[in-house]
Amino acid sequence: MEAVSMLLSGFVEAFTPMNLLAALIGALVGTLVGMLPGLGPTSAIAILLPLTTVLGPTQGIIMLAGIYYGAMYGGSTTAILLNIPGEVSSVPTCLDGYPLAKQGRGGAALGIAAIASFVAGVMGVIGLVFFAPLLADQALKFGPPEYFALMTLALTVIVSLAGNSILKGLMMGVFGYLLAMVGMGPSGQIRFNFGIDELSAGFDMISIIIGLFAITEVLKGMEEKQDAISIGKIGSVYPSISDLRKSSKSIFRGGLVGFLLGLLPGCSTAVSTFLAYDLEKKLSKTPEKFGQGAIEGVAAPESANNATSSAGFIPLFALGIPSSPPLAILLAGLMIYGLAPGPVLFEQNGSFVWTVIASMFIGNIMLLVLNLPLVGIWARLTQIPFGVIGPVILVLCFIGSYTVRNNLLDVFVALVFGILGYIFHKFRWPVVPLVLCYILGPMLEQSFVQSLSMSGGNFWIFIERPISLSILIASAILLFVSLILIRRTKLRAKEAVGSEVDIAG
Amino acid sequence: MRRKVAGMLASLVLLGAVMVGCSTGTNSTAKKEEPKYPTKPIEITVPFAAGGGTDLNARAMSEYLSKEWGQPINVVNKTGAGGATGTLEVLKKGSKDGYSILTQSVSAVSASFAGNPNLPFKMEDLRFIARLAVDPLAYVVKADAPWKDLKEFNEWVKKNPDKLTFASNGTTAIATFGVIQWMDSIGADFSKAKLVTTNGSGDALPKVAGGHIVLGVQGVSEVANLVKAGKLKILGIASPQRSPYFPDVPTMEEQGVKGITVTQWYGVSAPAGIPDYVVKKWESAIEKMLNDSAYQEKMKSILVQPDYLNSEDFTKYVKEETEKFKQIAKEKGLIK
Repeated sequence: MEAVSMLLSGFVEAFTPMNLLAALIGALVGTLVGMLPGLGPTSAIAILLPLTTVLGPTQGIIMLAGIYYGAMYGGSTTAILLNIPGEVSSVPTCLDGYPLAKQGRGGAALGIAAIASFVAGVMGVIGLVFFAPLLADQALKFGPPEYFALMTLALTVIVSLAGNSILKGLMMGVFGYLLAMVGMGPSGQIRFNFGIDELSAGFDMISIIIGLFAITEVLKGMEEKQDAISIGKIGSVYPSISDLRKSSKSIFRGGLVGFLLGLLPGCSTAVSTFLAYDLEKKLSKTPEKFGQGAIEGVAAPESANNATSSAGFIPLFALGIPSSPPLAILLAGLMIYGLAPGPVLFEQNGSFVWTVIASMFIGNIMLLVLNLPLVGIWARLTQIPFGVIGPVILVLCFIGSYTVRNNLLDVFVALVFGILGYIFHKFRWPVVPLVLCYILGPMLEQSFVQSLSMSGGNFWIFIERPISLSILIASAILLFVSLILIRRTKLRAKEAVGSEVDIAG
Repeated sequence: MRRKVAGMLASLVLLGAVMVGCSTGTNSTAKKEEPKYPTKPIEITVPFAAGGGTDLNARAMSEYLSKEWGQPINVVNKTGAGGATGTLEVLKKGSKDGYSILTQSVSAVSASFAGNPNLPFKMEDLRFIARLAVDPLAYVVKADAPWKDLKEFNEWVKKNPDKLTFASNGTTAIATFGVIQWMDSIGADFSKAKLVTTNGSGDALPKVAGGHIVLGVQGVSEVANLVKAGKLKILGIASPQRSPYFPDVPTMEEQGVKGITVTQWYGVSAPAGIPDYVVKKWESAIEKMLNDSAYQEKMKSILVQPDYLNSEDFTKYVKEETEKFKQIAKEKGLIK
């Protein structure tokens, strides 16, 4: 009960004009950077960090936090309307969001994305209010073997995202992992640079994503010579009752998955959106609709990424552990103000913490209000003729891939992967397993190596620890279920369409 | 109030400017004879992630110097390979006119040179400008670990060196050197201890706090949060004097462990070939900065201790340290 009264006084503080303005600016900037590929919350927060010298601690942190969770809203817009994920975590949103937009139901998809983000954001903040210290302790129970098991679990998703051929999916997965290996390995050895110095820094995730999705989309549009990108009508942004009914459970499940994974340091929003998407597909009675425009396929990842980002504040505030790069910069912001996170923070700077938390409620409401009506404006993007928007997207892609590391190589990489993506599309090779393995591969490798160093090379370490064992068993079951589901889905889709179709990707 | 509004508006403008995609031209050349410096924005590369110790130092410094010099100083993080990636990038692509600057830590310099004979760059490629601060190593274990103090832990390690796991960023990262110097001093067998390679303190410390890894050796500033949260305890700090931030924690030397020279430090360097007058300008500005009371307050908030060395002394220090690390690495067979 003490938490509630503290929260209420936090609200009183959060409603002062300056704090409201800080939350609003944070939400706006966050939405904007979330939409643009390349410029993510990490760089936005880093750019604005110097402002902490001008603003007071409360306003500064409110604004930076707003950018962080606001970006999770913005990421969905371009993903749904243009098939361009602004963030890696928005990739699953593309899978069903873009088909929906093509069917003229982009509005409903955007609406559901905003609502899902809102519900999950609020769920995350409620979790933060009531369970912060308790949950933070649980997160510490995850050691390297547990992370290894968790990554294995996430990798089973490949099977259900592989599309029409599991073999093709696996091959793309391996390709993705090989790409991730380019550069310096976990202990500093250079791999696969083929004697080219530029490659020793590795590829950048964002430029690969920009290539595979955005540039490929432009190429496809050029080929089709019609408005492949301009979809015309997007329909109402307020989802119908049946859409809401269909997605309400997905929103809660996605939120829960996202929240739990968000507690774990190092578990990125990308991992939780992929897992949430896959979970929905498995639980769905009509998994064949996924990838063709299932509204649940938009709801689940969108709620998962918002829940993950809110839950990330729990290890940050309670223990001072940043679970993702933008939170690491936020931690730097706290440190600059001399606010050391931990239980001490709650005791000594209680009014600060609770004001920031209260502002997160307000920020989420602002984002919902901003996103639903404003969606109409963003949606006009899609009505611009392809001849105009295509080149604009290309320019944005180049700028986006360049600004990540200020490196021309990344632009080249984006271009190459754009062409590759187009070829993959032509020959129906799924790109999602590639992206997934690119993200998970290095994490899997690191936790595997760490686990074996802990045990002195003994593989039992994965089996003898209860948490790791349970997750591994769950992965085996999921793999089995996926295989059965895939077969059933293929059959059904064949019955429905009369020929083999792509199931996803 | 008005200042704050202006600040927020400035933030939007700033961000807008970045979105337009203007990049700082790092390759343009300034006239070398011209003694006026800086006349355009400076880019500081941090070869580690944002929010880490090196990053915080770089950001605090850039904030001070951009006011002092009236030119924007941008901090860019280029991570990977224990700092080698960012360093290489500046050496390869940065300009040699003082507008491409590095902020490094011991990990990216001495430890890296000692551990990696095949690095794509040499020590001579860098000009060391000044050391900014030190952050002594704290030896931490899980808060409810069975050892009351360092003495009990030493005894346990001597008997069970094979049960000791420790977190370090790599076989030749500073935590490894810290563990070697400590184990040698107490007469325990290092070759039996198990190194778990972690990806920085943010990866290592939760694993120590959760009891998955027995020992963590990280800078005081890095362990402080989890220590204050009651999840980690410090057994000792390797420093000649007690840390001002943990005055109750005895130094390693006080507890009879002698010979630990490894410390975390942060410093500024640039590609070799940078004009001398620029180095001078940096030296004097940094010396002034470290005596500035507002800056000292900032150092307190990020828990590091200002410790200035000028270019000459800093270069000497780095060379000696690298030699020492190389010797240890050779003795213990850390490099194959």
